[in-house]
Amino acid sequence: MNYILHIIIMINIYIILTVSTNLLVGMTNLLSLGQAAFYGIGAYLAVWALMVLHFPLIPAILLVMAGTALISLLIAYPTLRLRGDYFVLATLGFQLIIFTVLYNWVSVTRGPYGIPGIPSPELLGIVPISGLIPYLIFSLVMSLLTILIFYKLIHSPFGRVLKGIRDDEIAVLSLGRNDTAFKIWAFVISSAFIGIAGIIYATYVSYIDPTSFNLDEAIFILAAVLIGGTGNIRGPVVGAIFVVILPELLRFVGFPDAIAANLRQIIYGFSLIGFMFYRPQGLAGEYELK
Amino acid sequence: MFWQLLTNGIVMGSIYALVALGFAVVYNTTKIFHIAYAVLYMFASYMILSFYRSLGLPLLLAFLLAIICTIILSVLIELLIYRPLTQKGSSLNIILISSLWVMIVVVNLVAMFYGNETKILNPNISKSISLGSIILTYTQLAQFIISFLLVVSFLIFLKYSAFGIKTRAMRDDDELCTVFALDIFKMRIFLFSLSAFFAAVGGGLIAYDVGMDPYVGLPMFLNAVVALIIGGIGRFEAPVLGGFMIGILQSIAVWTFSSRWQDAVTFSLLILFLLVRPQGILGEKQRAV
Repeated sequence: MNYILHIIIMINIYIILTVSTNLLVGMTNLLSLGQAAFYGIGAYLAVWALMVLHFPLIPAILLVMAGTALISLLIAYPTLRLRGDYFVLATLGFQLIIFTVLYNWVSVTRGPYGIPGIPSPELLGIVPISGLIPYLIFSLVMSLLTILIFYKLIHSPFGRVLKGIRDDEIAVLSLGRNDTAFKIWAFVISSAFIGIAGIIYATYVSYIDPTSFNLDEAIFILAAVLIGGTGNIRGPVVGAIFVVILPELLRFVGFPDAIAANLRQIIYGFSLIGFMFYRPQGLAGEYELK
Repeated sequence: MFWQLLTNGIVMGSIYALVALGFAVVYNTTKIFHIAYAVLYMFASYMILSFYRSLGLPLLLAFLLAIICTIILSVLIELLIYRPLTQKGSSLNIILISSLWVMIVVVNLVAMFYGNETKILNPNISKSISLGSIILTYTQLAQFIISFLLVVSFLIFLKYSAFGIKTRAMRDDDELCTVFALDIFKMRIFLFSLSAFFAAVGGGLIAYDVGMDPYVGLPMFLNAVVALIIGGIGRFEAPVLGGFMIGILQSIAVWTFSSRWQDAVTFSLLILFLLVRPQGILGEKQRAV
């Protein structure tokens, strides 16, 4: 039972990651390979807010969102002037730079040793969130909130402009919209919510180290979005459920542990290539990558 | 100390130049962001390992067979993945994602068969010669001479041979090539073979020096891409210039900071270039960057 609860919590964390990433990949046609960096920044900021500043939960969440948004704004400005391959490469570059900083700036992040003993946060100073059931509720509330906000966002005028940029950027420009400003907003909003996934992950696992936020994780998040599908809310949610449950199913098939990790990657690889061939919009998405 | 580091940088730069040139051969002509190229670099060294250490063939023969295997893998990727996707009219982003996952599949297959740990090709310490205060190992000397000769002869070949002219024509406008009855897909097979050849030679030369693990491809690939971009996309001399620049810069960065910051230095340089001069040093100004 605890095992199932754990899986559901992980699904909730990944739903936050994929739904926010979808705002870039599926709504604005920005293929970002740097999402794990913001996840990591969120987690490390959460540690700072909770362990150093001793913030209560809700101010900590707001601080993490603000901090991640600020850092993503600094990254958004140079990268969003680029298109296509260059944008992918620039986000990948920032991903590697931020990973290197987290890994090597030992005096601040403790580098490869990681940070153990992250305390469980307290809601409003009274209700401690510890144990699986409270975490389940906490992560569920956060992921539902994220889904709701992004649903509203996608169906707002803002979301329609993003779709316009995705489908025909020149047309949006000719209608007098500042496309770069809209892209920067999308980038910043997406990163701020990824920061929330970071705070949930850090406090739930109670130990973080930089390897949880490396390039592989960034590729994994992108894969989850693309498998599930892009362009709506349903797709990324399906993707998050799929990528969390698949490895657990493989565990029951009983592959030896030594090759299980490699085998999982191979299965993801083949399924993603298959999707790119036969169903570029993913399992439940509505937009084909352009 | 400075001259020693400069020499190391130049030797490493010649490998970067070679590998970046191989990537440029595909990227400049087909516009495919060929991430699976990273795998070819790594695959070649594992093939050498199999032929040389396991089967006990002579080193040169093992090297040759490994190059052939790598070329076959590269052409297979083109025939099974890129060509059908291009013919279906898939976007370049879709091809990029497919290429990324081809890389992940092959890396994990290699890891499954050979294990995740580092493997050594040459257990002996290479002999070295000293020129004044600079010490060079024979391996480094071979790395530099082989890659330098290959790069230079390829650039000359590109300038004067019929194949070179076709390649440059494809770089400029591949639709127009079709109009002039040039079989694009046949050309692409040659281009993918050629790029695999460069990757295999680069991979083999590095593996002979420091060994290999299944994950060496991506960092090398990223360095090559940075070299290509700061050199300038579109010209074939550019990745060579970029490669030497990256090699020397990294070598000096290791001296001033520490080797742990090497990636950060390389990518900061990339982002600086993307901001200030996205067309690279030799590139011409384009509107659609």
